[in-house]
Amino acid sequence: MVENVLFRKDLFKETPEGLVLIGNRCTACGQVFFPKADFCTACLNETMEETVLSKRGTLYSYTITRVPLGKFPIPYAIGYITLPEKVRIFAPLIIGDKEFQVGDTMEMEIATLWTEPDKNVIGYKFKAVK
Amino acid sequence: MRDVYIIGIGQSIFGKLPQYSPIFLGAQAAKAAIKDAGIDPKMIQVAYGSKVLDAAQTIEDVLKRVGITSLEMHNTENACASGGAAVNLLWKDIAYGVYDIGIAVGCEGLTTCSKAGQLLGTAEGDLNGTLGMTMPANAALIARRLMVSRGATVEDLARASIKNHRNAIMNPYAQYKKVITLEDVLHAKMICDPLTSLHCCPITDGGAAAILCTEAIARKYTTKLIKIISSVVLTSTYEAWDEDPIEVPIMRKLSKMAYEKGGIGPEDLDLVELHDAFSPEELYSYEALGLCPDGESIPFLRSGATEIGGKIPVNPSGGLQSLGHPLGASGVRVLAEITTHLRGEAGARQVEGAKVGMAQMVGGTLTGVSSPSVGSINILAK
Repeated sequence: MVENVLFRKDLFKETPEGLVLIGNRCTACGQVFFPKADFCTACLNETMEETVLSKRGTLYSYTITRVPLGKFPIPYAIGYITLPEKVRIFAPLIIGDKEFQVGDTMEMEIATLWTEPDKNVIGYKFKAVK
Repeated sequence: MRDVYIIGIGQSIFGKLPQYSPIFLGAQAAKAAIKDAGIDPKMIQVAYGSKVLDAAQTIEDVLKRVGITSLEMHNTENACASGGAAVNLLWKDIAYGVYDIGIAVGCEGLTTCSKAGQLLGTAEGDLNGTLGMTMPANAALIARRLMVSRGATVEDLARASIKNHRNAIMNPYAQYKKVITLEDVLHAKMICDPLTSLHCCPITDGGAAAILCTEAIARKYTTKLIKIISSVVLTSTYEAWDEDPIEVPIMRKLSKMAYEKGGIGPEDLDLVELHDAFSPEELYSYEALGLCPDGESIPFLRSGATEIGGKIPVNPSGGLQSLGHPLGASGVRVLAEITTHLRGEAGARQVEGAKVGMAQMVGGTLTGVSSPSVGSINILAK
């Protein structure tokens, strides 16, 4: 029986609206990090607080890998998404009908990252919003 | 602090050479450097090795094959900058009077290592790496930003590669000695959009070596005195959330340090060898090294300024695009290339009147720090 296993569940929080990504915020300067930072790399303050990240952001850059990439199915898209919290995150992207464009509005979805014989590893991917 | 001179250079052929171990290739390079210097191998007092993948006792294993044992030896790893860093450590030993003469050898066997056949990733356990970030993907993400911020076309992204392949025809050590056209680049196999296989350096095995020494020793062995006027290694800062990857802050800081230590500016350079594992890198390096004003990399590229015979030839050897990039060797190879031009021995690809040259190698990608994560620059002058 193939089960869904969440990749790095420490990166997520369960909410009434479903799974959201969580990072943390520096209590001194407000810089947000994803994944959570052990300490603020902007000001070196060590007190951080957990913060939920927005589901939507803007595509900063993207590429699609078309050659074999280990366990990832190809073509495999990745990119950077700028979120309103002033953090830019790296994430796999869901390839849609339209070509990606820098500046696209992207939304986080839970999707399969890769499959193994006994499990589907699921995690966060971003998809262009119409 | 003493002046440090380069009296011996050597490299193996670079190519897909699975029949040779990388250590053998390093030993070939070391032998060539010793012969080039005209010294007795017993004169070597200290040695530095650089190899990135599957590295174990690299310099010991290389030098035992050329009759050199029983010395202080160290192996160093700094991603693609490993070779430049090995040279820097050797330079420091001589500059600060610890030793008078030593050798740096870099080698790599990309066709035979444990990661052979895979796209090179980031570092063990790195989050972005576990989600599919690779070196070509990183380059492609930055290429896309060049298109958005600098108006680089897909053709512009290919231009540096075309130039470098043409240069390589005149380089006997190059893996690829074949002219490529724009059509060749655009129709080659797509690796990571928009980069095709011809925007990317090949998979390569090879070794390179350099012998550095004091002025007193140099004067006994050569009349072509080539001095290292600047040698710097630097790692990057934490990544600012809104950092522009085409600004390459580490390369700006690294090159400023290098120019200051050498007492020169970018306008004083006659040639540059730099890390162009992916063709777009050369484009933003023009700005980050101060070869052209900020924002002007594309017009500068299109003007032909970086061709042999142009204002500031870049990668007259053919670059990593044509030589390939045996990771540990490249930082030493570019030093050897600059030296060859300063000696006036570069044959058909000679940069006329070359007096001052920069050998740069940068590399490494890690989540949370600015990419590339480490760089080295060695500037030579005659």
